[in-house]
Formats: sequence, structure tokens, C-alpha cells
Amino acid sequence: MKMRVFPTMTIFSGREFRISGEILRKHGSYIALFILVILSGIIQPIFFHPQNIFNLLLKAAPLGVVTLGQFFVILGGGFDLSVASLMATTNIIAAAGMYGRDEMCLSVSLLCLGLGILVGLTNGLLITKRRIPPFIMTLGMMIFLQGVRFVWTKGAPFGTIPPALRFIGKGSIGGIPLSVVLLAILAIGSFVVLTKTTYGRQLYSTGGNWEAARLSGVNVDRVIILTYIISGFMAALAGLLLTGYLGLSDNWAGKGYELKSIASVVIGGAALTGGRGTIGGTIAGVLIMTILDNIVLLLNLEVEIQMIVEGIVIIGAVAFYTARKSH
Amino acid sequence: MADNILEMRNISKAFPGVQALDNVFFKCKKGEVIALVGENGAGKSTLMKVLVGVYQPDKGEIILRGKRVKVANPREAQKLGISIIYQEFNLLPYLNVAENILLGREPHRGPIMNVSELYSQADEWLKGLGIDLDPQTPVYKLSVAQQQMVEITKALSLNANLIIMDEPSSSLSGHELNSLFERIHLLQDKGITVIYISHRLDEIFEVADRVTVLKDGKLMGTLDCKVTEKSTLIRMMVGRTLDETYPEKAEIGVDRKEVFSVAGLSSEGKFQDINFKVHKGEVLGIAGLVGSGRTELAKAIFGAEPRDKGEIYLNGERVGIDTPNKAIKSGMGFVTEDRRKEGLVIGLSVRKNITLPSLSRIARLGFIDSKEERKKVKGLVRDLDIKTPSIDWEVEYLSGGNQQKVILAKWLTAMPQFIIFDEPTRGIDVGAKAEIYHLMRELAKKGITILMISSELPEILGMCDRILVMHEGRIAGELPSKKATEEEIMFLATGGK
Repeated sequence: MKMRVFPTMTIFSGREFRISGEILRKHGSYIALFILVILSGIIQPIFFHPQNIFNLLLKAAPLGVVTLGQFFVILGGGFDLSVASLMATTNIIAAAGMYGRDEMCLSVSLLCLGLGILVGLTNGLLITKRRIPPFIMTLGMMIFLQGVRFVWTKGAPFGTIPPALRFIGKGSIGGIPLSVVLLAILAIGSFVVLTKTTYGRQLYSTGGNWEAARLSGVNVDRVIILTYIISGFMAALAGLLLTGYLGLSDNWAGKGYELKSIASVVIGGAALTGGRGTIGGTIAGVLIMTILDNIVLLLNLEVEIQMIVEGIVIIGAVAFYTARKSH
Repeated sequence: MADNILEMRNISKAFPGVQALDNVFFKCKKGEVIALVGENGAGKSTLMKVLVGVYQPDKGEIILRGKRVKVANPREAQKLGISIIYQEFNLLPYLNVAENILLGREPHRGPIMNVSELYSQADEWLKGLGIDLDPQTPVYKLSVAQQQMVEITKALSLNANLIIMDEPSSSLSGHELNSLFERIHLLQDKGITVIYISHRLDEIFEVADRVTVLKDGKLMGTLDCKVTEKSTLIRMMVGRTLDETYPEKAEIGVDRKEVFSVAGLSSEGKFQDINFKVHKGEVLGIAGLVGSGRTELAKAIFGAEPRDKGEIYLNGERVGIDTPNKAIKSGMGFVTEDRRKEGLVIGLSVRKNITLPSLSRIARLGFIDSKEERKKVKGLVRDLDIKTPSIDWEVEYLSGGNQQKVILAKWLTAMPQFIIFDEPTRGIDVGAKAEIYHLMRELAKKGITILMISSELPEILGMCDRILVMHEGRIAGELPSKKATEEEIMFLATGGK
């Protein structure tokens, strides 16, 4: 019988072509971040002032934390719209529960984180076991939490934020904001989980091909549920950081963070269909979103301009990645 | 010749790793039924996809009614009067028969669709072919055979004068087949040319005037059906004797240990009362038509789909398998029918795909031992001769045969004692096929028990030690492979008693 010998060129056709495209796709968000930083510095030199960098990072921390959670969910092929509503809910609980008392800070914080886990577990269970689409489930959860908040506070949040939480959200040690240190630890932890553990491998596989992962013995439901739990936990933590940063209670604290976090993940190069993306890219996405906000402020433009720019950047980022992929 | 409605000349088309068509000539005359035969992977479908503009040929030209044409896409083909009816129909299930037949060409009165005209037009087309169907029936309620009739009517209503039917008989029963042949002859009377793709030779002698044979992408010849012997045709199609491709079988003695068995396995609407045993080192084949419940049975055994009744025994012990995870833990592997959808995570590397079912074996406290992983994967890539530039290469860029080997390697890491292969050589070229066969037989020699599902009869006959034939969800019979013939299998598979 005749064995066909493959000429190497035909099996791996297009390899050389792919490499430059591959580099752009894998590192596009870093290149974009670098260009944005340089451009911002040229347009407005104050951008590089240490105080501005400090403010910028401080502001990036809560968004960064919630985006890390969002990234896990998106890797699994879903997304979580309930995170911002959860952030506002922890804000209200923290203010009312702590009422300015430092000694209540730890216990109420733990309560908030517990709530985050519970919300994530509920999302995850209903999405996997009852097959409710993530969009509907987390949208419903967002509205539900909003309702609970308003019923409880009757529209007027009460309570105050204790100094300890304010310090966590706004303070710094040796010139480095505490919340940024926390974000860095969480990002490194997430990186390790995603690249070194069986869970990380199973998550990439499940997001990349749910059926193949399932048939390879991956407990896909458990993998997905865990992503929502992580997202809920991170959102609650981000809510606490934001509470400390703002120093007040607000029914709408964190408004818009669900979409901002999804946008950051997408700008970071992850596929919305799941299975593709990196922690580094995601953090770059968070920084790009935050710098865009920052530069608009520095230029004394109206805040609304921010939205116009962000809208363009999000669509542009996705257009860039999809164009790359079709090569 | 002047009466050639279509001539395809010097057609060549290559895909990564395989020359799908190599300088093929194909001609057909007005009003004839011409069969196109060849084994899977011979290039039949590729040739037709070139004709309807799904693929562009690397070389060659198409001459339609004496004029050279370039078919850029399927729409263009339709305008040229060429229609193709695929194995999987392109009907919209929630629209009715009339809406499907006249899709995009609905009669209008001003901007409003003229519904009564729609039904009467559709009815006329149906009656023209002697098809008894209510045009208002939604398509999802129709049987496969009836849906096929709708497809044929639709093709005719598009004013096609060349209709291609890709494996039209694959899921039809006896009288449905006769009804199909009647329609084909009616089309022929109207002067329409029908290209009939199939690998069932008996049908071809019944319906076709001439037959063109392809093998490994090359034209073997065109014969007149009236004066051709079946054996001549088979020799042209196969061009080799069985033992050249298939490894030698094992001698199965009576003292072999029973490894796997099922008793009374049933799943409503899919399969009923399935009983069989497999012995250590044996290759048991399951043959049957598409839709006979083979894949559903395999998935249920593997815990990937629910079942209603029945027990599964591994090494004589009852096992409660209800998830793939449990199946793998009790020593089973499953090479699925569809590589891209079910077998591989296409965007991940060779390494990550191979270790997916056995991560816990190379991990400590949830952390993957990457040295151990690389060592294991490299060993398998070498043993199975997987052609990849590195173990970190994404599987997406490998050829079909190498992808299949990655899937095989993946199951070997989980150290199974029983592996199900569902269509293990679908869509891979002849050389890679032989390699897969040898690998399977080697596994069997090492004592791994194999259940092999396949639609390709030569493969079933060449590989299996014993053959079960399924028909409409039941086991229609068991044949020892030494004495079995393709005819016997087909007889059982089509419900013969």
C-alpha cells in the first residue's frame, strides 16, 4: 500500500504568515497600552506626574478586581452582568453595617464577601443546571439585587464608612496604594490558577469546546459554577474597595462596572466565545479603560466625551481582533 | 460530443495534507442519470463542491452546454441551472412545504405575499413529480424521505437542468428508495440530468445509466451500467485486496476473558434492548445505517447521554456510569465521530489536548507537573508518529489524520481498558487510515478491548473480529467477520429478515 508523504509546507501552510498576526493578536493590548501611555504624556505632560499616576492606579484597582472575576466567567464562555449591582449592594451593606465603626469592618466585610459567593453560586447553579442563558440569569440577578437594595434603603442609603475601610480603599504604604497591592496579588494568584493548575486547564478547555471537555471527563458544570463564584467574590471585594475609595454610601456605587469590566476583558484580547485570553492582557485592558477616563479629565473635556471615546475603543478593539483571527 | 451538457476538464484541488482531486475529467449527457462512486475520501463530494462553486479548483475548467463557465459561488451555480441536494438537507424546519419550495421566490401581489398563489404553485410542482404532500405541512413534521422529496421539488422549481444528489439513499428504507428512483426517472423524462453520488453499488445498477469511478482523487474510468459487472466496478473502486490495508486479526479463543458487556440497554426513541459482550483484546464492530442508533448507543454507554434502562458491566462488575467522567475513571475511552466538535479543543495545543482526560495523573494538589506532562506527551507523539512541529502547536493546524492521532494519544494517557471508536477514519486520507488501523490493532494486541462503529463496510470487515449490525435502534444480527460479506451486513442493516 502506498503511504502518502506529506510535504511539510502543505501541512503547516501559512505558518510564516501567521506569526506576525499571532504576535499582534497575543500582544495587541500591550502595544495599545504602550502607545496610549506615550500619547497621553505627549498630549498632556501632567499625565506622568506621580500624583496623577497614583490617582490613576487607585481608580483602576476596583475595576481591576471586578474585571479579574469577569475574566474567569468570559473564559468559560459566559459573562456576568450582575457584578455592578452586587458592588452597589455591598456598598450599602458596608455603610449600614459598619456605621463608621472600625471594629465592625472585618465582620461586615466577610458578610459582603459571603453574599458575593452566594450570588455567584446562584448564578452558576441556574446557568448550568437549569440551562438559563448567562445574559438572562445575570441580568435578572442585577435587577433583583437593585430591587432588594431599594426596598431595604427606601431609596435613601444610610450609615457611614469607617476609617479602616477608607484606608484600604484609598490609603497607601510607602507611596503604593494598598488597593493596588491587593489587585496585584489577586492578578498573580489568578495567573497561577489559570496557567499552573488543573482547574485553569479545564477552564480553558471548557470555554474552548464545552462538549469535547465534557467528553474528556471534565466536570464542566463545576468548572463553570466556580467561575461565577469567583466573579461574585471579586465583585463584592471590588465593591468594598470602591466603598473605601468613595467614602460614602450610594445606591448606584459602581454603576456601569459590569459593562466596563466586560469591555476591559475584550480589549485585553479575550474571546467573548470563551477559551482564549490572558490575565496580562486583561490587566492591560483595565489600564487602557482607566487611562482613557483619566486623559479626558486631564484635558478638561466633558465627562460625556469619555463615553464617546470608550465606545469607539471597544468596537475598534473587537474589530481588530476579529480581523486578525480571520487570517 | 455535442450532447454533453457538462464537461469538467483537468480538475485538481489540494487541501493541506491531501490532494483531494488530481486531474479529474467528468462528463454527463442531457437527461441521463450518472452515478459517481468511490470510497470515502475518493473525492466525490469535493468534485461536486467544485461544480457548485463551494470550492474553487486549483486547476481545470468547467464547460456547461458548450460554454466555459466560472462558478464563483453556489448562488451562481443555481443561476446556471445546477442544484445540489446534500445529505443534510437545507430546509427550514418551521416553515411549511410550500414556503420551503419557493423560498425567496414567493409570489407577491404588490408588497404582500400572495399566499393562495404560493400554495397552488407549490402544489403544482409537487403534483408534477407525483408527490402526495400537503404544501401547508411544516417541514419538521415530515419524515426524512418526505423532506428529500421537498428538496427535489425545490430543485426542480429552480429550473435546474442538472441535479446533484449526495448520498440520497443513506437513510431511506426499501420502499422509500423505490419512490426516490421513480422521481429520478420522472426527472430524466423531463430532460434533466441527475448526478447520483453513492457507494451502494446495487442501487447504482438499478438507477444509473453510466457510472464514473473515483479513487484517491483520481479518475479511474466511466462505465456503461448495462454492460458492466459489479465485480469490475468494485475492483476499480477499491484497487487493492483487503489484507494490504488492514492489519492481521487476532485469534480469538473461547477462553478469552469477558471485559465489557451491556444488558437490556434502552433509550426511548433511540435504541432498544441492546445486549452484547466484548472480550479482552477483541475488536467488536457495530455496523448500520446512519440514524440506526449506533452513535447514540455509544454515547449512552460512555455516560454522555441519558439512558432509560439497562445495565453496564465492566470486568463482570456492574458499573453505574452516568457521566463521561465516571466512564473514564472506570477505564473507558471514547474516540468521537466528530473531531472538531467533540474530540478536540481546537484552539489549544497538542500537549494540552492530549493530557486533558488525565490531568489528575500528572498533578499534585491541583498543580500540573509540567515536566512530567511534557515527557508523557513527547513519548506519545513519538510512539504514534504524530506529525507536528512541536507539542505546543495548536491542533487546529494539523491534518485530519494527525488530529485523529492526537485524540488517540489523549485516551491512551488515561490508560483505558476499553475504547469506543466512532467512525475512526472519517475524513482522513488513505495513508493515515492505514496507520490508524494498525494502531488500533496494536492496542487490541496489548489487551485493550475495542468497540468500533463505522459506516464503511470494508473497514468493518477488515478490522473487526465480530460484527453487530444495528437497524432502527435494535441489534438486527451478529456476524463472525471471517464469513461476513458486505451484502449480508447491508441486508441486516436495511431491515432484512
